[in-house]
Amino acid sequence: MHPIFVRRSRLILYLSVWIAFGLLLSVVLIFGGRAPALWSFEFAMPIALALGLQSLSFWYLVQALPPGQVSPWRMALIWCVAGIGSLVIWLIVAYGWALFLLPPGEDYPDNAMGTLPLLIFAGAIGIMLAVLGHYLVGAFQRSLDAEKRALELQVLAREAELKSLRAQLDPHFLFNSLNSVAALIGQDPAAARQMCFLMAQFFRKSLTLARERAIPLAEEITLVETFLAIERVRFGERLRTKFDVAEDVRDVAVPPLVLQPLVENAVHHGVAHMLEGGEVCVSARRREGLVEIVVENPCDPDRPPSRGTGVGLSNVRSRIETLAGTRASVDVDARETSFRVSILLPAMNPA
Amino acid sequence: MRALIVDDETLARQLMLEHLGQIPNIEVVGQASNGFEAVKLAEELNPDVIFLDIQMPKLTGFEVLELLGERPPAVVFCTAYDEFALRAFEVHAVDYLLKPVEPARLAAAVERVRERLANRTPPPSAQALSVAARPPGKMLERVLIRQEGRVHVLPIERIDFVQAQDDYLEFVVGGKRYRKQQTMSDLESQIDPTRFVRIHRSFILNIERLARIDLYGKDSWLAVLADGTKLPMSRTGHAKLKELIG
Repeated sequence: MHPIFVRRSRLILYLSVWIAFGLLLSVVLIFGGRAPALWSFEFAMPIALALGLQSLSFWYLVQALPPGQVSPWRMALIWCVAGIGSLVIWLIVAYGWALFLLPPGEDYPDNAMGTLPLLIFAGAIGIMLAVLGHYLVGAFQRSLDAEKRALELQVLAREAELKSLRAQLDPHFLFNSLNSVAALIGQDPAAARQMCFLMAQFFRKSLTLARERAIPLAEEITLVETFLAIERVRFGERLRTKFDVAEDVRDVAVPPLVLQPLVENAVHHGVAHMLEGGEVCVSARRREGLVEIVVENPCDPDRPPSRGTGVGLSNVRSRIETLAGTRASVDVDARETSFRVSILLPAMNPA
Repeated sequence: MRALIVDDETLARQLMLEHLGQIPNIEVVGQASNGFEAVKLAEELNPDVIFLDIQMPKLTGFEVLELLGERPPAVVFCTAYDEFALRAFEVHAVDYLLKPVEPARLAAAVERVRERLANRTPPPSAQALSVAARPPGKMLERVLIRQEGRVHVLPIERIDFVQAQDDYLEFVVGGKRYRKQQTMSDLESQIDPTRFVRIHRSFILNIERLARIDLYGKDSWLAVLADGTKLPMSRTGHAKLKELIG
């Protein structure tokens, strides 16, 4: 919708500007064109409003030609053509209106041709003001939109933070690990002790990392390794892991706990459902100026329906986008027997 | 009392075995590490009680119970954490254990099973239980069928239509028919209503299979499927279908 019609106050302001323009035009006609006062007024007001009405259409051109995106020459040319076209239409309207106002039988006043340059001048000024005004409105609208987007992004980041805090304390993981500890105490006390250390390490690390906005990838990898070490105690031979992280991406900034949910999914929705188990593969390398991080796992096409509610992936996506903006992306490749999530993000260093 | 332990984690099975060893008059006759194995062993060993994990490869604990048929043994579910399942257990008075399993709780659960067996308390309906335990917003994703000793898993999207017979349903998948003891209204309440429509008293149709609708007589229609199969459609069925596909 045209921004002038969005609010009544804007419409009133717009109309008053054109009424003022009409008053000014009649004054100019009275003194400059030596026309009768009443006639000038009757003539000028309606054509001023007509110009106002015509100028509304500039908004669509303003939107089609946002500043800075089209070359200035091209823009100047388009506006010249549009402005002159608009001016010609307006002059024709003005001429028609003048004929209509003329008392029957009377000829056109001698000085009519004298007012033409005046009208052209006034019309050109009016049109230029209207174009400028529309660009101002456009800029105002864009800044409002940008503000709204920034707010939305902030809300998203908060939500993601909340969800990641909740994800850390995944009750499944905690209780199952404790069950493993309870089992090990009877059979292999040393392994039980080792498991306690791993769990302490994992929970401590995830609590510290969660406070940061961004952490080096290497830190996240260590966390994920600890997580998988704990899960390996539970799943035994069934869970195999492979890490392939290039040296030159270890310092790249990532949101904390961004790989952990992906690896957790790889175990719980992938490997845990394979009778013979499978390999969770985490890799990271530079690719075309960006950093690509991939988590990959096999899965069973006949696995039972998931009992979770599955917020992990969307959470990861929104956090990556919050940190790295539109250049980042999260791709999911879900096949019959494999699942692959790849994160592409610009290489930044954690602040 | 003869027990079967079902859990995909070796350590969890060992812990259960150790705990059960402390309880008198109970003998562990078998262990299964996935859903299919559980169904097979339950059939072969005919245990009095199954200690059943919920999340396992191949079949969930609920699906295992469903496949055990009319006279399942007593079941004690085991889970680390599953809020929807726990609520369902409470509602249907099903025994369950939380991991890590405490010996005292296990002993109490075994005691309750003994009482149930002595009183011949009928087991809960597997269908009702699995419906109650489904997380909100989740619809039936696959149908499990036991036919001539084999377990068939039919993903819901592969089903063409379902036909009601005397006291069972026939699921039709690419011309093959699978029988299951279930009522039409029971299935209708579990299945995604945006993908499956009950077009007739005896037919539920996967709307993706619909090719066209033929007028058959006054107030009666035929649903013609992509493979040429014709199914009768009632007036209310026709109205429901129209509303869905516009």
